[in-house]
Amino acid sequence: MASAAPVSAKPKIAVFSLTSCEGCSLAILELEDVLLDILGKFEIVNFREAMTERSWDIDIGFVDGAVSTPSDVEEVKMFREKCRVLVAMGACACTGGINTLKNYQNEEDYRKYVYGDKWKVFPTIPAQPCSAFVKVDYELPGCPMNKFEFAELAKCVLMGKPFRLPSEPVCVECKKKGNLCLYEKGLVCLGPVTRAGCGAICPTYGAKCEGCRGLVDKPNLQAAADNLTNLYGMKIEDVLAEFRLFGAYQKERIP
Amino acid sequence: MERVVTAKDLAALADDMLRAGRTVAGPVRRKERYFYEAVSRGADLAFDFNYCVYSPRSFFFPPGETLLTYSIGTNELNVAPEAPRTSPVIMGVHPCDCNAIGLLDAVFGSGVPDDHYLARRKDSVVVAVDCHGPCDPTAFCRDMGGNEAQEGFDVMLTPLNGGKGQAAERYLAAAATERGRELLAYNKVGKEPARADRDAAEKFREAKAANFSRRLPYAVEKLPAILDRSYNSLLWQVTAKRCYSCGSCNLVCPTCYCFTVKDVPDLSCASGKRVREWDGCQLQDFATVAGGHNFRPESSSRLRHRIFRKGKWIKEQQGRMGCVGCGRCDRACTAKISVVEIYTQLAEEA
Repeated sequence: MASAAPVSAKPKIAVFSLTSCEGCSLAILELEDVLLDILGKFEIVNFREAMTERSWDIDIGFVDGAVSTPSDVEEVKMFREKCRVLVAMGACACTGGINTLKNYQNEEDYRKYVYGDKWKVFPTIPAQPCSAFVKVDYELPGCPMNKFEFAELAKCVLMGKPFRLPSEPVCVECKKKGNLCLYEKGLVCLGPVTRAGCGAICPTYGAKCEGCRGLVDKPNLQAAADNLTNLYGMKIEDVLAEFRLFGAYQKERIP
Repeated sequence: MERVVTAKDLAALADDMLRAGRTVAGPVRRKERYFYEAVSRGADLAFDFNYCVYSPRSFFFPPGETLLTYSIGTNELNVAPEAPRTSPVIMGVHPCDCNAIGLLDAVFGSGVPDDHYLARRKDSVVVAVDCHGPCDPTAFCRDMGGNEAQEGFDVMLTPLNGGKGQAAERYLAAAATERGRELLAYNKVGKEPARADRDAAEKFREAKAANFSRRLPYAVEKLPAILDRSYNSLLWQVTAKRCYSCGSCNLVCPTCYCFTVKDVPDLSCASGKRVREWDGCQLQDFATVAGGHNFRPESSSRLRHRIFRKGKWIKEQQGRMGCVGCGRCDRACTAKISVVEIYTQLAEEA
């Protein structure tokens, strides 16, 4: 990725949402301790969850949500055009997220399920990440994204420093926290191949990692397939289902 | 100096240390496992435990710590070093972990001495408790010599009763250092040992020697030579097929001491801190240097590196094995890659 060159004196930022719960947008507002510092350094010019004014003179655009409808496609292309730097926030924008579960179902069925008898009025396309349609400069993965990682990216932009996501897996954060490995409790967790940066929040509270932050840079997916089937008695279809929850649109696939 | 102490005496001693303002840590039971934790009362400490999931390493070398803070003025850079202030009393450390502390002492104390580690270690007291047999099937401490504490402790507790499923209640406490003598002299803990107590301790040691068996098919002294012949073994690639490079084996290891250093600016960008965090040689970017070159891009080369460190290179540098045989890496590996199995297979090939 290109290094985040410092933009204008007080960079203008915007926050947009595509098909999603907009929880990542809200996570920005939950940055209570540093939110005022951020507002001192950046000017928010367009943020539906937080303000009524709208401006299209934008340095950095943050977008959450998957591209899941024809209008999403138009919007993400417009965001790209209007924003010098485009950042995908959260699992939906980075990998398609749980929206992609519909891609494995019959289209007419899920449209009827969601929109009832008006289903024909709401066109849809297979859910995909923003990067499937436009160039994305930075990704802040996770469901929701880690708001502190958002603040970190903001710092990097201000300092003109390259922003890098952690390259290690969730196991590292679990070990640093002193957690008992969920495999030792008899659970199967995607921590060994999932990108760290969440502070291993799910395993810390006893829930298995579902891979919402996507895979590490060079995941050994052959090992995942072999180990989970040979050592933990899983069926390969079940392994695929585990990875499908958040990872459907990642480049690396289970062999 | 020797005293006979009960589990209650040890709990009371821990309470005395807490009242004196010390940080006291030791094995604490959390559901089905034990963990080293700082306690607020001595009664929470367990002296009769199988193993702690993690070693007490993090009390001296924490997973993350601030090395210094800085602020940038108009024409100046102000740097303030951060000095650790807690030097804990750790009660209930098995011989393998004592030896591991001894290795960390040697590593962090030699070359450029590591102030942060040494500050935590300076006034710390380590109370060891001997184990009567292997704590878990993964342990191979007998092979590595880890089951006999050579260093890294101030007091050794030898159980005088218990064993075979019965919890020990009485211990012969023997000071190994001046700090250990001071601890045992504190409030004159326990009683003067009687002849029968020394006999019971001797009996424990005899029984202990019989309880540990070897898992390696050869004496560990041969391991460096076996590794010498195994650098190009196919085993590295074959084993790496199962390896996630997740670093769990490193991060649970009581003798791993690698770390990475990062600068963390505040949002003001005018001040910040320099931190260090645990690192591990199995992780993808461990050997990536400025400019982006990675000296060990293949997981097979990283796997081999770890095995060579533990079985040969640290021995050459420090005069002692880099592995104490605690078995934590085997337990932590979700791919079930076993160091003992690797050592065994290499000997068959070599």
